Amino acid sequence: MNFVRFYRLFTHSINAVFGSKVKALLMMLGTAIGIMLLTGVVGISKGVENRIDEIMKFMGPRTGMIFAGGGRMSTAGGRAAAETTLKVEDLEALRTRLFDKAIFSAAIPRDDVFIKYMTQNSQTTIFAVDPEFAIVGDWEIEAGEPIDNYDVKNIARVCLLGATVVKNLFPDEDPIGKKIFIKDIPFRVKGLLKPKGTNPQGFDMDDCIWIPLSTGMRRVFNVDNLRVLRFKVRQEYDINEVKTEIENLLKERHKIKQGQDSDFRIRTPDFIAKRIREMTKTIRLGGLALSIVALIVGGMVLMNILLLSVSERIPEIGLKRAIGATRRDIFLEFLSESIAVSLCGMILGVFLGLIPVFLLPKVMPMIPMAFTFNAFVYGFIFSIVLGIFFGVQPARRASKLEPVEALR
Amino acid sequence: MIELIGIKKTYFTEGKETPVLFGIDFKIEEGEYVAIMAPSGTGKSTLLNILGTLDKPTEGKYLFKNRDLTELNDDQLSQLRNKSIGFVFQLFNLLNRVSVLDNVLLPLLYAHNYPKDAKERAINLLNMVGLSERIHFKPNALSGGQQQRVAIARALINEPDVLLADEPTGNLDSKSSEEILNIFDEIHRQGRTLVVVTHELDVAKRAQRVITMRDGKVFKEEKVK
Repeated sequence: MNFVRFYRLFTHSINAVFGSKVKALLMMLGTAIGIMLLTGVVGISKGVENRIDEIMKFMGPRTGMIFAGGGRMSTAGGRAAAETTLKVEDLEALRTRLFDKAIFSAAIPRDDVFIKYMTQNSQTTIFAVDPEFAIVGDWEIEAGEPIDNYDVKNIARVCLLGATVVKNLFPDEDPIGKKIFIKDIPFRVKGLLKPKGTNPQGFDMDDCIWIPLSTGMRRVFNVDNLRVLRFKVRQEYDINEVKTEIENLLKERHKIKQGQDSDFRIRTPDFIAKRIREMTKTIRLGGLALSIVALIVGGMVLMNILLLSVSERIPEIGLKRAIGATRRDIFLEFLSESIAVSLCGMILGVFLGLIPVFLLPKVMPMIPMAFTFNAFVYGFIFSIVLGIFFGVQPARRASKLEPVEALR
Repeated sequence: MIELIGIKKTYFTEGKETPVLFGIDFKIEEGEYVAIMAPSGTGKSTLLNILGTLDKPTEGKYLFKNRDLTELNDDQLSQLRNKSIGFVFQLFNLLNRVSVLDNVLLPLLYAHNYPKDAKERAINLLNMVGLSERIHFKPNALSGGQQQRVAIARALINEPDVLLADEPTGNLDSKSSEEILNIFDEIHRQGRTLVVVTHELDVAKRAQRVITMRDGKVFKEEKVK
């Protein structure tokens, strides 16, 4: 069978199918809903991967975090106040024992702290940091000097300003060397941080002030524990091996026996990626299952309407056999109808699917969503397979009709 | 053109044998206009189906242009019907969802070679049957007589060797019947072979020769004019 002839048969079939618009719509409804869900699922999966990529890029693949407090997510609500298990001594021990494998740093954040310069008031996040924090977090100093060991040792009242703070407090002045007040304590501006922009969660990274760790702990916040440690693994070591060593060391220091829950958590980018995938797994699998159910139900509906259509069109089939259609022609005609309908259902479904893809991020921004052409590719493959699978039986029934019987 | 030799047809249903044709012999020459006269229930439809290759005889030989059709397979017979036989049915059998023009072009859908001048040819045929004004109408907007004329144009689109008509006027009033029979006369004048199956004497008389069947056999053959 040459291509032109097949094309003629196919267009004739499309004509036949859309002769009855209501029936055609019914036939493609299931496919449309299935493909719509599939488009949504593909969108979410793509969104998840995008978000993981962003986080990986943002954190750096060799960077990890150690959090104070036990490992259960269910305790998340209380951990901010209660988790006091990480001490400066832990940090020192990690540095001493693993100095060749990773760089460790600590930072204590406090949100919404009042700051003042002359008559300008503002609020920002204060980070009490050690000198290593800039290295681990890939920060650069744009002007002035960084916080050094000397500042930490002397509990110096110096600070570094993020770009947003500079904009708020020093609209048209050079801040370096100026005196600002953090919680009414005077600090000298030692340097400025190079802007980093916003992070994947949408926070302004430049809305911050850095002060020495010791100053923060003793003069500003009055705490003796660290909530978060960061570490950056050196090139030649594997992050997961280093993670295990950190775990062992901290367990030993905290006297945690085998089988007991740890009082700290270590998070690597791998772990976070896994966590995000797990969290969205239910919605993705559920969506996929629903879309498969919809496709199967849709396929059954399509098949039954097509079977009905075959019995309605017996005289037509007889006529076509009389004027020279072979059994294969009849088979291909009805199969084409099935494929045409499911392809149209797929196009409808992909467009319906774009609604959640573009709407959901606006309504629920925490659900990652991304548009991808894969949706079209999968939709195309699924609908062709569906059209063939559920079209074969009606097409066979049509082609098996004896012309004499059909014409009667 | 057509030669039937000892054609027998027996139906087997649920182990029961029902013989319908008991040995039919006749010849139809090229360019001839033949009527097959038979009352209903005498194997008329069966004979027509065999002539149209829609059904196979249980016994006997069917020579079409010196070729034994009983030896052809389903696909070969489909191709033969497409190229060499034009059908006209009592109930017209038009597709109501497509236009008159597309109905006429329908057999070309199954032709191996789609002629370049197909549309022109279809319009000429519709012109011949007097429907050139209605090519974009849907068949159900036409009268019975007009529908049958569309069916005749459709039967001729592939320039078949023979036109087979099964009670072509069976569903028409006498005026429309007359129009159809006049068109048959015209087709005959153009040199095409025509076989019309009917039980009406008025229709049969328009042919050159009438073959009368009775009880599954040829009862008599007579020249009309």
